[in-house]
Amino acid sequence: MEKQKYASKKGRERLSLAVIYTILILISLVWLIPFFLIVILSLRGEAAGMSAGYIFPKEWSFKNYITLFTETQFLRWYGNTLLVSLVVTIFQTIIVLMTSYALSRLRFKMRKPLMNLMLILGMFPGFLSMTAVYFILDSMHFTNVIGLILVYSASSAMQYYICKGFFDTIPKSLDEAARIDGASRHTVFFKIILPLAKPIIIYTILTAFIAPWGEYMFSSLIVGTGSMDNYTVAVGMWKWLENPQLRTAYFPVFCAAAVIVSIPITALFIWLQRYYVEGVTGGSVKG
Amino acid sequence: MANVSLKHIYKVYPNGTKAVNDFNMEIQDKEFIVFVGPSGCGKSTTLRMIAGLEDISAGELKIGDLIVNDMEPKDRDIAMVFQNYALYPHMTVYENIAFGLRLRKLPKDEIHNKVLEAAEILGITEYLNKKPKEMSGGQRQRVALGRAIVREPKVMLLDEPLSNLDAKLRTQMRAEISKLHAKLQTTFIYVTHDQVEAMTMGTRIVVMKNGFVQQIDTPKNLYNYPANKFVAGFIGTPQMNFFEGTLLKKGDNVVIKFDNSEAEITVPYSMLYKAKPAYLDGNAKVYIGLRPEDATIAADGGNAVIKVKVSHKEELGSETLIYGDINLEGDGYGEGSTRIIIKDTGDRELNGGDIIDVALNLNRVHLFDKETEQSVLPRIPEYNYLDCEVKGGKLKFLGAELDLPEAAKCGDLKGELLLPTDAITFNGNLKAEVVSCEKIGGVNLLALTLNGKRLYAVSPECVEAKTVNIGVDFKKITVISGGEKVIAPMPEVNEFACKFVKKKAVEEVEENGKTKKKKVIRFGFAVGDNFFEASEENSQKIFAALGIKKAFTAGLKMECGAYDLTVSDEGIAASVIETLDYGVEKFLKCKVGEGTVYVKCDGEIKGDIHLLPDFEKVGIVETERDIKII
Repeated sequence: MEKQKYASKKGRERLSLAVIYTILILISLVWLIPFFLIVILSLRGEAAGMSAGYIFPKEWSFKNYITLFTETQFLRWYGNTLLVSLVVTIFQTIIVLMTSYALSRLRFKMRKPLMNLMLILGMFPGFLSMTAVYFILDSMHFTNVIGLILVYSASSAMQYYICKGFFDTIPKSLDEAARIDGASRHTVFFKIILPLAKPIIIYTILTAFIAPWGEYMFSSLIVGTGSMDNYTVAVGMWKWLENPQLRTAYFPVFCAAAVIVSIPITALFIWLQRYYVEGVTGGSVKG
Repeated sequence: MANVSLKHIYKVYPNGTKAVNDFNMEIQDKEFIVFVGPSGCGKSTTLRMIAGLEDISAGELKIGDLIVNDMEPKDRDIAMVFQNYALYPHMTVYENIAFGLRLRKLPKDEIHNKVLEAAEILGITEYLNKKPKEMSGGQRQRVALGRAIVREPKVMLLDEPLSNLDAKLRTQMRAEISKLHAKLQTTFIYVTHDQVEAMTMGTRIVVMKNGFVQQIDTPKNLYNYPANKFVAGFIGTPQMNFFEGTLLKKGDNVVIKFDNSEAEITVPYSMLYKAKPAYLDGNAKVYIGLRPEDATIAADGGNAVIKVKVSHKEELGSETLIYGDINLEGDGYGEGSTRIIIKDTGDRELNGGDIIDVALNLNRVHLFDKETEQSVLPRIPEYNYLDCEVKGGKLKFLGAELDLPEAAKCGDLKGELLLPTDAITFNGNLKAEVVSCEKIGGVNLLALTLNGKRLYAVSPECVEAKTVNIGVDFKKITVISGGEKVIAPMPEVNEFACKFVKKKAVEEVEENGKTKKKKVIRFGFAVGDNFFEASEENSQKIFAALGIKKAFTAGLKMECGAYDLTVSDEGIAASVIETLDYGVEKFLKCKVGEGTVYVKCDGEIKGDIHLLPDFEKVGIVETERDIKII
């Protein structure tokens, strides 16, 4: 009697697990198919568009990658985008960390209103200010990579929210102990807080890099109207798709470009996830 | 290795909450001071103000000879141990201890030696290469202590350092911290909510509640002479028993009557000499406090015996706590005013519901006012309450007779004399016998008998002689007759409304041999139309307490005693109402604006005069929040 009951319980558990796994597998398929298609299409040797009616290439080849680097300006755009993203990442990480620390630790007048204002401003879609931004940059002759860097870095401080939340979890008594030990605010930040904030620094770097890396709207506005030399990958690749002739001819090349574009992000994540260790604050204070 | 002096320290939050109220204390070098009180009483806030982690709203904080109000924590030469250890988790134990020394740029060898020495003292040498997370709570707290002692600070601040440890470890660390104090010979300030820690470790204890200091004294004195019901209940486990009741004086005895009970105990009046007579009328409600060890189970009846119904008991091994109720209808479980806890060392068979005789050791009874909860038997009574008679300009009390001075003359009457203990001078011509001289705090309390009746006096020096000549300072006495104050004491403090102002002036300054006109800004206090320049130090105190903007708008009150004002040609305008002649001294009663002011004077002066305050001695109080700034 006892045994039977036990067995039936196990059977029910298995059934529910089977259902859950089926649903999860279906969802991940839906999510993975586009990536899979792009990788497969980029390896297609024959010239045929998206509407060719089959998936697996008749001829496997790296031709599209070679075309991409030799016949198009892709490398130049890639360089532009990488430059913009890296510089923005550096600026944004520094600004976000410092803003968050200040908002987390210092108490000053208008602190709460300022935080709310930044949160509300951040809710407005960025394109509302597009026209104004364009005219300002145009008048300063910054409709190029520098303009992009400015635009992306300008509102960095508004990203403080998650980072401040993390700093809030680091006990204040650590700061206080260090200040009594003889540290200035500056020393506390660099010697105590930053070493403890690795996960959130990684997070900030990743988000700061990814946003400009794939951004299209502002880059098309600021660099998309001028010389092709200033394009970013998003702008350049969209131009291929815009043109009906190029769209067919360049489609496999486009897919190859897409694969190349995904490399830095993947690499960045793999490199940084080593530091994504949990429990860095373990043992500092009684938990 | 320094004194710490706190003068009129306040902590007021922007929303107006006062976390710490007028904290005054002189901490001597090498003392072990414990701040104790329930949570939210302001003890940690005070400690954090000493550390510099919290701004001081008003008051003066000195460490050694330096005023450190505006000094950064790192420059105060203090070290602090936190409740949650606050170790740097990414550093090893060695680096944690060395961190402060490295920031101070000490040579490497020296740092190494000091870290090893500190680790040796605390027994953590073998953990030096470990990270905090690999260690247990007790070890971590040791590291935190090491980090503090390695810097050899002037003052060690400890904020509930043992609260996160388990009971056994706590006892062990308690002893170690005491040992550390003895070894380091440094001033320790220790915050805890645990009265056992306070009692076992402190040389002096500060009991706090709701931001107010309740009592500052040695552990023994706190236990034996609690100043109010809160201190009495807070110090000592199990808690002191409190009963409600009344006192009635019958001849040379006083009858203590317990509410909600038949119990009545008679004690000799000599035990209650210090009590205000108003408490002995049989109506005024008091709390009768008695510690559990001062109640014993009586074998046979006696004088101070009451009946108690036992409810339950707690066996603690060496002793048994017997819970009962002096109300024979009560149950003894609730913490009411009839419950009694008896500490009994004997081995007795007792069951719930048994009625037993309990003898109370009334020599150790504590009495508190029911409303104010202040002790009815203060160690230093404020007044002697005496019957008196005035006849033909002579004051008669306790069989003695003194001429009333001009200023305190009144018609013939019979009434009550409130003779402050500090109003008894030692240069009069009344002969009193000295019964005892007790040193309490910085003063000596003399118990005297004058014509066989008890009289208390305070004196700065201990009197060894058997008899002493005493007199009365008439400006401090009060005589009440028929419910009216016939003779009132002269107020000790004069108050003037004032403002803090800035004044622009053009001054001639000599520079490079040339006389130049230069604009200068002077800060000072405006009383009426008068401007008194404030010293640099005072201006800074005002700015520190009120901020730049509020300093000039806040309403202030200037306080100064009658001796701190001088009659002069300039200053605050006043008109003399009358001259008060107290025989030895003369004072002027003057009108300033709406108020009345008393000034010491030598001769007879009439009409309009001007008064100059002595700014070395005046106090400045902000009226809105009632904060003493200077």
